[in-house]
Amino acid sequence: MLSKIEGIVIRTQDYGESNKVVILFTRDRGKLAAMARGAKKPKSRVGAATQPFTLGQYLCFAGNGMATISQADILQSHYPLRADLFLTAYTAYMTELLDRLTEDKEPHPFLYELLATTLSHLEEGTDPDILSRIFELKVLEAVGYRPRLDGCAVCGKVEGPMKFSVSQGGLICLEDARHDSQALPLSPPAARILKLLQRVTPDRLGQVQVKEETKNQMERVIRSFMDEYVDLRFKSRPFLDRLRKEDP
Amino acid sequence: MYVPEPISKLIDGFMRLPGIGPKTAQRLAFFVLDMEEEDVMDLAKALVHAKRDLKRCRDCSNITDREVCSVCSDKNRDRSVICVVQDPRDVIAMERTREYDGLYHVLHGAISPMEGIGPDELSIPDLLKRLEDETVKELILATNPNIEGEATAMYLQRLVKPFGLKVTRIAHGLPVGGDLEYADEVTLTKALEGRREL
Repeated sequence: MLSKIEGIVIRTQDYGESNKVVILFTRDRGKLAAMARGAKKPKSRVGAATQPFTLGQYLCFAGNGMATISQADILQSHYPLRADLFLTAYTAYMTELLDRLTEDKEPHPFLYELLATTLSHLEEGTDPDILSRIFELKVLEAVGYRPRLDGCAVCGKVEGPMKFSVSQGGLICLEDARHDSQALPLSPPAARILKLLQRVTPDRLGQVQVKEETKNQMERVIRSFMDEYVDLRFKSRPFLDRLRKEDP
Repeated sequence: MYVPEPISKLIDGFMRLPGIGPKTAQRLAFFVLDMEEEDVMDLAKALVHAKRDLKRCRDCSNITDREVCSVCSDKNRDRSVICVVQDPRDVIAMERTREYDGLYHVLHGAISPMEGIGPDELSIPDLLKRLEDETVKELILATNPNIEGEATAMYLQRLVKPFGLKVTRIAHGLPVGGDLEYADEVTLTKALEGRREL
């Protein structure tokens, strides 16, 4: 049966001499794999449309096994994301996060919209660190992990300086932080921005200017939270870290 | 099903090759049994020699049976240009053009942010060592026009900047014999960007 599927290529895997298995993230069908035969050949008609981060419309033939792509049209190539090493690294990290945390054929329309708008904003030059934090928070929430960022995770106190407690799963006031020696420091602006990022989507973000130090603190707490609860080793993370270290 | 051990070992051996399933492996194994002993010995020797005798060229990292490969030791080659490719098979493809007479450097892979393959897993330090030689004037980045190849080209471009070389990237565009109507917009944009005056 032939069906038209709109989706974003989040990963590809070489298969045989010239074929590729393309992992698409779609609005209605979630994550699904499709075979692109001959996609590695120079004259292939689906070669460009099956490049990672491409938003396209794919005409697939679905039999009993894996669907086969018979035609493909590019809706948004997102080429700039592949033509800049930093943006490639950030996008690779975000698509890997989505890929590893979602199950096959489980629809997540919200995450699809999030991915589409995040890629567009990355391309338009929005701060990739801020976009990454929003993306992480939203994906984590969609799959069942939501750090508490609107008040102390122990007593509920909203005002005053806070730390971040991985074991309590969110912000923690200084009073309660005395019982958690592992609590991570968090400046008032970092706590405020994290709370904001948990509520906004990239299209409502607008212009943001955040200090490098604040961004680093936010990254550290979200990463620690992810490492504790999600416990996955992301392949794209070391490359991104290395790039940023070599050319901050 | 009863299969004598030497044949089952042979079938297992063939099955380790890419694209060979159990049926094909069985067919190949029985074909080997029907071959002349001399031919079988030649095949076995060729396999062992290819594995034992081939090594990486001291200069360009291409596979060779000598210390320095035939391209690097050829005095008629232009030593001012180095073409960087991902794979030894890319050297064979480039040599088929008979248009290029410079030297090569084989990276043995490409940077893949998605797969976590970083620059340390490629033969980049050897390339940097070669660039210290002042006879090198141009570096052609001929990695594949996909995400991994582009990432590798961009990384190398940043890395070799201090050497002050001319760094070029092979052109992207329409394949010879292709049809404009069926070309996708990314390829067409690239073809337009790389247009030249006649």
